[in-house]
Amino acid sequence: MINLAQRDIAHSLGKFVTTALGVGMLIGVVLIMIGVYRGMAHDALIVPNDLGAELWVVQKDTLGPFAETSRLHEDLKYSLKGFRGVKAVYPITFQSLQLFCGEKPVRVFALGYEALSGYKPFKLMEGRAIQIPQKEMIVDSKTGFKLGEAISLGRETYTVVGLTHKAVSSGGDPMVYIDLAEAQELQFLFSNEQIRNDRIRGGNTPSTSTVNTFVLMLNDDAEPLSVAHEIEKWKHQQVYTAQEQEVILTKNLIERSAKQIGMFTVILLIVSSVIISLIIYTMTIGKMKEIAILKLIGAPNSVITKMIAQQSLLLGILAFIGGNLFAHASADLFPKTIILVPTDALKLLGVVIIVSMLASLSGIRTALRIDPASAIGG
Amino acid sequence: MKHSVIAVENISKTYGSGESAVVAIKEATFEIFSGETVALLGPSGSGKTTLITMIGCITEPSGGKLRLNGSLVYDYKWCISDTRKLRRENIGFIFQSHNLIPFLNVQENVTLVPLMNNVSTKEANTRAKELLEYLGVGDKLDKIPAQLSGGQSQRVAIARSLANNPKIILADEPTAALDSERALSVMQLLRKLAHEQEVAIIIVTHDERMLPLFDRILRVEDGYVREEDRL
Repeated sequence: MINLAQRDIAHSLGKFVTTALGVGMLIGVVLIMIGVYRGMAHDALIVPNDLGAELWVVQKDTLGPFAETSRLHEDLKYSLKGFRGVKAVYPITFQSLQLFCGEKPVRVFALGYEALSGYKPFKLMEGRAIQIPQKEMIVDSKTGFKLGEAISLGRETYTVVGLTHKAVSSGGDPMVYIDLAEAQELQFLFSNEQIRNDRIRGGNTPSTSTVNTFVLMLNDDAEPLSVAHEIEKWKHQQVYTAQEQEVILTKNLIERSAKQIGMFTVILLIVSSVIISLIIYTMTIGKMKEIAILKLIGAPNSVITKMIAQQSLLLGILAFIGGNLFAHASADLFPKTIILVPTDALKLLGVVIIVSMLASLSGIRTALRIDPASAIGG
Repeated sequence: MKHSVIAVENISKTYGSGESAVVAIKEATFEIFSGETVALLGPSGSGKTTLITMIGCITEPSGGKLRLNGSLVYDYKWCISDTRKLRRENIGFIFQSHNLIPFLNVQENVTLVPLMNNVSTKEANTRAKELLEYLGVGDKLDKIPAQLSGGQSQRVAIARSLANNPKIILADEPTAALDSERALSVMQLLRKLAHEQEVAIIIVTHDERMLPLFDRILRVEDGYVREEDRL
């Protein structure tokens, strides 16, 4: 039997491909939206994964250090080291900074760590780790800084000694890494004028020996929950396991954004479905005469239904392929991380096939209502 | 030996109901035999198309009986479940404008109906080539309708109507879009086919110059169908 759908498409190939690519752009945007969500979830976990914490110690009754502000005295590390099962304790600070790469402002998320402790909470791509904590800095390549470049920050000038690749905060800002003491000065040291004013008011000069969190590594035989319980009991601080911190990051920090993106994705899918339906309906209306002739010469409904359904399905699949190409070609152009996962694409393909089949129903319904007598004049 | 191919008995068609009812055909009775060419004449709106669509099992009559090729197909209700199957197996249609499927080439347009009747592709292609050769368009197999002239298109349409070896051909002004020379040629061809292949052909026409080419003439006026005597 002649494949009518194939012949019809071949007859007006340019129109069909252009239509499919148009729908494909919409499908591509849906894929990108899903990729944005994936990117957010991925970005949110880059720093925690690089830190490799088994336990997070943060200020009591906070969801720190990412979802809420947390401040702890640095000297807490000595007592934390004394808990059974704790192998190592690393004090960490976090802060948002704005640097200038030439004239261009660059938002970064700075992580302060004890550079001489041997702890390396990053994956170096180029250069070296901080060896001497004398205004050395490791930056992510996304900032645009090069190795050896001087960066003015606060009252000091830092030199880039190492580069990471795709290390970003949960907000998508590229990471920079500096020594803890320098980070503490940047974050907690007031200006000379404020210190003077505070002294006149009778206040003390605040200590800069403050951190945002402690990252704890445990012995192999230690049970994280029991160690956490002990720390909470005796030190009156909040302790989260790695899994709990991950939940805080994904649920609390990006949940609202994820819902927003989810809503956009659903709306886009609905719009795509409506557009595919309209296109299929219009394509059917454009073939009313031919369908009437087919019915008149005795074509069964199955032949007509098959023709419309096949065209609809092919439109959907071609649009899906076009959308995928569009999404992959444009993903790197977006400022934030976009992660395109094959399983998402496959799920979307399933949705596109279902939508195409449903969309063809309007066309099929119209086609089956066409009176074969309309092919005869008079 | 001629036999009855179309037998119409008191067939009528009324559109609408009550006061707005319009009677298109009023109790028409006639019979058409194999190999006959019959002209269906009448002014616009007289009911010609309604009559032809009822014979073609496209429009359901409001009453009467219809036999096609000896089988009762309508007796105040359809006696067959699949009118389209009956059409594609027994009836060929020729339209005013050729009405070929624009996205199929000439050969595919002709083989479409046989293939739907589960004839093998090889057999359908052979039959299509024979018919197209016979009709003088054998060199146009791969052309699409847009690449053909009006006369060539109408010849392809005739080939399509014959592809399923029908016993009946229903034609609606098949020469209306052709110049007089080509129109005459097409009519002579249809007459030849009717006589050679024992096909009953009913042709709706307004062109009274063609009437000598028909075996019989049926005139439809105000819903009444009557046979005109040949001079």
